[in-house]
Amino acid sequence: MSERTPLDQRAPGPMESPEPASPALGSEIGLEAGERPPGFLDGRVSRRTVLQAGVVAVPCLAGAGLVFTALDRFVNGDPAGAEPVAARYDASGHRWGFVVDTDSCVGCGMCVVACKAENGVPEDPEYSRTWVERHITTADGTVRVDSPEGGIDGFEPGDPPTMVDGSPVVDARFVPRLCMQCENSPCTAVCPVGATYRTPDGVILIDEERCIGCGYCVVACPYGARYIVPAAEDTPRGVPGVADKCTFCYHRITAGLPPACVEACPVGARRYGDLDDPTSPVSVVMAEQPTTVLKEELGTKPRVHYVGLEAEVVS
Amino acid sequence: MTVRLGGRAFVLDPRAAYGTVRGEIESMSRALQAWLCLLLVLMALGAVGAIFTIAPGTEVFGTTPSFEWGILISAYVLFAITTSGLCLGASLGTVFGIELFRPLEKRHAILAVLTLTTAFGIIALDLHYPVRMVFGAVFNPSLASPMWWMGAFYAGYLVFLIVEVWSMFTGHDRIHQWACTAAAGMAIIAPTTLGAVFGVLFARSYWFGPFTPVTMLVTAQLAGSALLGIVFFLVVRFQRTGFERGRRLAIPAIRILLAVGLVASTVLLGRQLVDGLTTADEAFYDATMVLISGPYAVPFWIRVIAGLAVPLVLIALPVTRTTLGTGVAACLAFGGVVMDRLLFVNVGQVVPGSTVGGVVSDPYVPYTPSLVEISIVIGAFALVAFVYTLVERYADLREADAHLGFHLPEFIASVRARITAGRTVGDADGAHEGNVGIGS
Repeated sequence: MSERTPLDQRAPGPMESPEPASPALGSEIGLEAGERPPGFLDGRVSRRTVLQAGVVAVPCLAGAGLVFTALDRFVNGDPAGAEPVAARYDASGHRWGFVVDTDSCVGCGMCVVACKAENGVPEDPEYSRTWVERHITTADGTVRVDSPEGGIDGFEPGDPPTMVDGSPVVDARFVPRLCMQCENSPCTAVCPVGATYRTPDGVILIDEERCIGCGYCVVACPYGARYIVPAAEDTPRGVPGVADKCTFCYHRITAGLPPACVEACPVGARRYGDLDDPTSPVSVVMAEQPTTVLKEELGTKPRVHYVGLEAEVVS
Repeated sequence: MTVRLGGRAFVLDPRAAYGTVRGEIESMSRALQAWLCLLLVLMALGAVGAIFTIAPGTEVFGTTPSFEWGILISAYVLFAITTSGLCLGASLGTVFGIELFRPLEKRHAILAVLTLTTAFGIIALDLHYPVRMVFGAVFNPSLASPMWWMGAFYAGYLVFLIVEVWSMFTGHDRIHQWACTAAAGMAIIAPTTLGAVFGVLFARSYWFGPFTPVTMLVTAQLAGSALLGIVFFLVVRFQRTGFERGRRLAIPAIRILLAVGLVASTVLLGRQLVDGLTTADEAFYDATMVLISGPYAVPFWIRVIAGLAVPLVLIALPVTRTTLGTGVAACLAFGGVVMDRLLFVNVGQVVPGSTVGGVVSDPYVPYTPSLVEISIVIGAFALVAFVYTLVERYADLREADAHLGFHLPEFIASVRARITAGRTVGDADGAHEGNVGIGS
């Protein structure tokens, strides 16, 4: 290793000032008059050391950045993880509601098809954001429910049966199902990390970047509206292992578009709108016709209302 | 090969390590070698199952959206309540200083740490994003969720248990006493909160209600006592050295704990059945009938007879109040708790409360655990047994001598002394200066 030249014997470098340091300043830091204070890079720190420090510092800083990004995502949430929202949308100005007219529904299953296509829901009927049930009520009070393939292929057209198991049919109707967007929602209450939450306009969303996939909300939902997204090839947009459910197509309604199922329904059996707006389709229907909600006794206060459901939906 | 860390040289010599391990294995009896081999095979099976669960969302479990919580949740609940129950029973000795329960001290703590870490491992495998859970629970806690509180209490419990074990083996008696006391408190709170995780779900009639947390706590006590009974029976059976006092005290102590747990569990089960059969809630009634005469009737009645009635008889009859009798009762009681927790989780979901995603389950929701789930559960049991066997062989599990802090007998004596002193003062017009304190 070569011996280093004393500072006072070296010629000033191109970046060094030939002027001596101020005597007053030098005396304050213990230097003789005319002696220069040592600079950071004037021979005491080698280039190799700087490079080594750089090699260590760059990954450290990158790692710290990643950690802070991750923490920030968990603390403040990640907009990318939630449902995309239109830029100028004011959530506090709405109270979204939904009305399903079971008198009109023909069980064609177009809503299920549209929902799966719009939201990247798996093909498997076990995983559905919305589905269509057929309820057949007989004279003895029994309600028989079926929903082959979740109703995605539609029910066979024609008149409903007049007799089932020897008992005359008194009522038969199709009952589309979806998340009830409850005002008193058990799913949001039980989530241990706040991944499922209610927006100011009353829609319950899931932050897929925060969900841990514990399934607590799936078990807690009284309406069977949730599922854990499987890691399957037919899950084009869903993040595997997190909870999923109907969001009223939040990315569409915040952009002024109707939910995909509402748009696809050929008979207008599904309607959505602002419950605070008396001219909205849901407000109009609710003003004109009596509506019910599913499992009212649970006190969940669903925002999905049903027209024509006289018999209690047991499913 | 030598590695230097922190100024110290560590020799990494595979030959030396191999020789040491081989020497240890050769010093073991054939039975112990076979036992450890069996456990290693089962652990390997569990590890293979665990690998399958790593990718989030992979459908390797038998669960469905209609039946979301399978036997991994049952196993988690079982291990989580067992760890609490171990501490509940043993705290009578460690916290209150009741001599009879003192021999349970070290073994309960070791088993509690093992079962709790195993419970955490199982739940991590069941979750799709376990790392997110840690970050999310810390930085974005949801205080309304019983699951968050359960995690917080069990995490705190683990910390206290680790301090308890550390202080136990290093002779920090005062710290040990406080750690035991704190752990005992957590052992009550944590399983109760675990019960609340299920008890708040009004969508699930079978789980919903205030008795679920109570039942969970009582089952915890029974599970912990039964596991202690099994371990102490084996310890006495294989005549571990330095255990004479333990044999005289531990087995009777476990008998008392088992009796309390069995009686309390029976009473709560009776209440639940009566409630279920007389309720107006159709789903709760259906779930009760599933147990009594439905698809889960066989395991249910096995549990009632073999897991509750027979152990109670074995504990109660004078002729079976032996070490063997207690051991058999403990084995049966623990098997009953295993069955009970399986039934608890399954029956809560088997009666359909709703169609789920277009799937109509009639009359019951089907669920068959997958091989992956079964292998993980078997591996978990094997892990606990393997590590505990090694601890039993290599750690000093003799009863600790020092006991400080809050001793119930001494506390009662001190209160009596104070009362007596007060009377004396009253009689002698304030001439006495008492200095009797708690734990003095």
